Amino acid sequence: MDHKKTVPYFLASLRNVFSFFFFLGRRTKRTKIFYLISFLPVVMAFIIKFSQIFSDSRDFTGIYIFSNMIIVFYIQFLILILALFFGTSVCSDEVEGKTLTYLTTRPVSKSAIILGKYGAYTLLTILMVWIGVILSFFILNVDKLLDFSLYRILLKDLAVLSLGLMCYTSFFTFIGTFLKKSILFGLVFGFGWESVIQYFPGATQRFAIAHYLKSLLPSPPRGRFSFLMFRLEPSSPGMAIFMLFLITAVFLGLACLLFYLKEYILED
Amino acid sequence: MKYVIETQKLSKWYGIVLGLSDVSLQIEPGITGILGPNGAGKSTFLKLVTGQIKPNIGTVTIMGQKVRNNYSLFSRIGFCPEQDSFYEEMTGWEFVTNLLKLYNFSHPEIEARAGEVLKIVELESDKDRIIKSYSRGMRQRLKFAQAIAHEPDIIILDEPLNGMDPLGRRKIIRLIKKYKTQGKTILASSHVLPEIEAMTNKIILIHQGMIFAQGDIQGIRDLIETHPHIVSIKCNNPVKLASEFIKKDYVLKVNFSSTPDVLLVETNNREEFFSFLPSFFVKYNIEVDEISSLDDNLQAVFDYLVGT
Repeated sequence: MDHKKTVPYFLASLRNVFSFFFFLGRRTKRTKIFYLISFLPVVMAFIIKFSQIFSDSRDFTGIYIFSNMIIVFYIQFLILILALFFGTSVCSDEVEGKTLTYLTTRPVSKSAIILGKYGAYTLLTILMVWIGVILSFFILNVDKLLDFSLYRILLKDLAVLSLGLMCYTSFFTFIGTFLKKSILFGLVFGFGWESVIQYFPGATQRFAIAHYLKSLLPSPPRGRFSFLMFRLEPSSPGMAIFMLFLITAVFLGLACLLFYLKEYILED
Repeated sequence: MKYVIETQKLSKWYGIVLGLSDVSLQIEPGITGILGPNGAGKSTFLKLVTGQIKPNIGTVTIMGQKVRNNYSLFSRIGFCPEQDSFYEEMTGWEFVTNLLKLYNFSHPEIEARAGEVLKIVELESDKDRIIKSYSRGMRQRLKFAQAIAHEPDIIILDEPLNGMDPLGRRKIIRLIKKYKTQGKTILASSHVLPEIEAMTNKIILIHQGMIFAQGDIQGIRDLIETHPHIVSIKCNNPVKLASEFIKKDYVLKVNFSSTPDVLLVETNNREEFFSFLPSFFVKYNIEVDEISSLDDNLQAVFDYLVGT
């Protein structure tokens, strides 16, 4: 056996931590539960399409229902919940489960631990969301699969949801490294702050991540759920993307710094 | 001799609770046992040594380098934590291989090391079971495996024999001794004197966050032998026994317990006391139900040392 000791470089550490938690993340009960939740729109899409076919009702087009689903279920609920539970767990799972020792006594920098695990969980949640979105899209638009303009909407929606997950997860990763009761704070932030601030007029709504996501949505919903875009004064797409990346970078940087400096006591 | 681990005036407190106070130590290669009752500060000391927590005062160095956030040093350290915590959804094999990945070993090397180490701790046949289904002893052996899998120079073990069956304990002790012959530095903690005694003669006595003694284990044994012992005897005629014991100069005190038929005898010469005990029973035809040494434990020695 080779006795040579290898000190991994940062990128290699990042890759190793990522693969560790991407592997582990797929196994957890939490992932399985959220996979089921993320399939709810697929079930809904199936029921809607099924009833449309058999009742011969054509009141709403498939893409109309799909766009509403994206804003009502995904933007307002699912990506927030996913980011909250996966983001806060980046640090708190290790502390509460007392497994932090296994990571912090390895030749891996603390930033690599946070970024690697964040990356693994973000990818995991993105895949979770994508599967549900893509299946819902095909079910709802089964009669228009040759209309290629619809695929642009799908791709844009997938990109917006991915950016949302990336951004929210980074914020909740920071909250998880910072607070003990991070879930509670996250719920207040997600369903309090984010739900209210985005409807404030003027510049105030720019303090909500949802504002930038909604600014990027390809086709704002009309009809029953149009109130969700009420008072939206969209930022330009370039600015929205820049802000989402900036928020992600800032909170990930803060999470790394805090994780480096803070002392986590694993209580008996 | 060059010291591997050095601490200078190391102190740590959690809020108003003192974890460790003014600990200055030098640890050489070989096995060093850290002995102390539960809550003495052993785990705090080991967490400070492995850089998991920050000292409030003082410094800790390993091979002359500071430890906390010094990641390159961790490839040379193996740590077996006290807490029984795992990534429960993983199998034993996945646990060891995934942790080995963090050392940036190649895939074949990871597999070879994991296979070897699981064989050493005798978990080879159970490697594909999820950790959740492991017994306490198996979990303990798995913790030990992850600490040695990367062949570190310094092995730090916090209560490594907890929850193990006698056979498992013997095997781990033998393994620890083998590492000593390879020139490694092993720091092992326990609250059980015979466990430490089976591993090493070098001992550090820790109590209430302070180092009470450091050196050869024989000295500790002598303390145990010379400090007064209380022996409890449950028999059919404690009064007669008490009247005979009180005449002996190696008996300091005789008390009747609140429990019926139980006599408490305090002696300063345990060896002599026990050598004469059977003859008393025979001579006065006393039927004995139970004899127990109330303070033949580590806590009693510590209490004696601190004068409580």
